[in-house]
Amino acid sequence: MNTSAIVQTQNLTKKHGSINSVNKVDLYVQEGEIYGFLGPNGAGKTTTLKMLLGLIKPSEGTINIFGESLNKRRSTILQRTGSLIESPSYYGHLTGLENMRVMQRLRNVPDKNIHEVLRIVRLENQKDKKAEQYSLGMKQRLGIAMALLAFPKLLILDEPTNGLDPAGIGEIRELIKSLPARYGITVLLSSHMLSEIDQIATSVGIISDGNLLFQGSMESLRKKGRSAIRLKTGDNTKAEELLLTQGYSLTKGGSRLEFDNLADREVAEINRLLVEHYIPVTRIEEQKKSLEDIFLELTGKERSL
Amino acid sequence: MIKTLGLEYYKIRRKKIWLMITLFLGVEMLWAFMSITRSIAKNPDHAVWESIVFNISSMNGLFMPIISAIVVSRICDMEHKGATWKLLVATNVRRGNLYAAKYICANSLLLFGILTQAVMMIVFGLMKGFPGTPPIEILLQFIVVNLLTTLAVTALQQWISLAIKNQTFALCLGMLGGFVGMTAGLFPGEARHIFIWSYYLDLSPVTFHYTGSTSLYITQPVGAGIVLFALAMTVLFYIAGSIHVSRQEI
Ligand SMILES: Nc1ncnc2c1ncn2[C@@H]1O[C@H](COP(=O)(O)OP(=O)(O)OP(=O)(O)O)[C@@H](O)[C@H]1O
Ligand SMILES: [Mg+2]
Repeated sequence: MNTSAIVQTQNLTKKHGSINSVNKVDLYVQEGEIYGFLGPNGAGKTTTLKMLLGLIKPSEGTINIFGESLNKRRSTILQRTGSLIESPSYYGHLTGLENMRVMQRLRNVPDKNIHEVLRIVRLENQKDKKAEQYSLGMKQRLGIAMALLAFPKLLILDEPTNGLDPAGIGEIRELIKSLPARYGITVLLSSHMLSEIDQIATSVGIISDGNLLFQGSMESLRKKGRSAIRLKTGDNTKAEELLLTQGYSLTKGGSRLEFDNLADREVAEINRLLVEHYIPVTRIEEQKKSLEDIFLELTGKERSL
Repeated sequence: MIKTLGLEYYKIRRKKIWLMITLFLGVEMLWAFMSITRSIAKNPDHAVWESIVFNISSMNGLFMPIISAIVVSRICDMEHKGATWKLLVATNVRRGNLYAAKYICANSLLLFGILTQAVMMIVFGLMKGFPGTPPIEILLQFIVVNLLTTLAVTALQQWISLAIKNQTFALCLGMLGGFVGMTAGLFPGEARHIFIWSYYLDLSPVTFHYTGSTSLYITQPVGAGIVLFALAMTVLFYIAGSIHVSRQEI
């Protein structure tokens, strides 16, 4: 096993009745990463993260965190893990500060941690207000502060920007981005928003209907967005016929001719062929697939995200 | 474990549970004292320590199940409301410890209520000038059997309060218990032993007898069988509840 794997699951499965809400997932999160766990609603993100924290039991599969089995070393693992799952947890009748004190007792950390995390999430001025009087975004900040309190080695955040306003989303994003370098924290966060993951994550796992469809660096995901070359000519029908006889495979015909995966040399060759046959070439365009396109292609879902 | 227990006491601040117990039992005591004062006025023979112990014991059959249900529900409901159970479990708190901490916390609060009752009874007796010194033995017995019954009642209440999020169930059970506890005397002897709430009266150190035209209070020994039964129910409810709640998915 790779020693730098902070989280590693094998064949992780959760059955709800006969349905596999999480199906044979092999997660692999490396130290120092910000791992974005991406998937549409109901994909199984929360279910997976709950299993990592021992809140629910997997139907099948194994979980290793910090290189140790969650089954055997749950207690030591959880001591070094902070989390925020689904809606933030808080005691409504206690103030923000008192909620932090509850966590402080559980985590055995000094007072200065409380003040530091409250400052980080910008709740210092609201800390004496009862948590039930907090707005949704403030509760979310409190939840993040509680998860962060002990500056754990691993931070698991389920949709951390839920309920935050755009400024808040930006703030939390910058905060999360700074965590690996500043505190040596590895972050595993889930989201159904591609744009969010795109801006934060260094690695990404895409889950849909319980299946992990892609896992790798953000770079490798972007590379999947191969470019397509589109041509427009004076006589597309003739051009199509010609190029087909020359062994070029078109992905789309009609008003625009489209080719996948063309090398620069091939583009030049096609252009020369057309011109030699007196077909005027009016446009040569490169079209890059957006991450959105890749994501929709992978998940096979035409819903907007 | 000590840490988890300490945390329970920290978390109930501002919940005003002390105040609620004091007020609730205060009303009960006031009611009992008034009724005894009236009964003494009619029959001076009733001006004895046993009368107050008996009256409070029988009224506890109504009041203790209800206040127990409320106290336990308050302590458990806060975890449901803010979805904090998952927070605690994900922060390395063992569910078994959490369950035990809540149980101890609730019962310590209720024990405080029972002790206060005992003190109030002494104060009342001295004020009324009951003959003899306060019957320490009877009062101790009163405290022990009330705690014993409360332990079983709270074990049941905690199971319901934690397993079912909607606290209406737990509170209704408490009221049902109060009703059974209040009317326990009307049930035939053996049948009522299956209802834990009737033990406030059944285990009372003092009972009331009508002999022809007169009535008198007599002390009764505590039946070992019933005590064992109460202990068995406590253990059963506690273990079943703890296992059930610990296995629940979060
Ligand atoms: N307790 C449960 N009983 C039955 N089905 C469940 C249960 N919990 C989750 N599921 C199902 O598992 C699937 C995955 O749910 P999950 O909450 O993990 O989705 P998610 O990826 O977190 O979605 P979202 O983005 O909406 O939060 C869903 O189809 C859901 O209906
Ligand atoms: Mg979710």
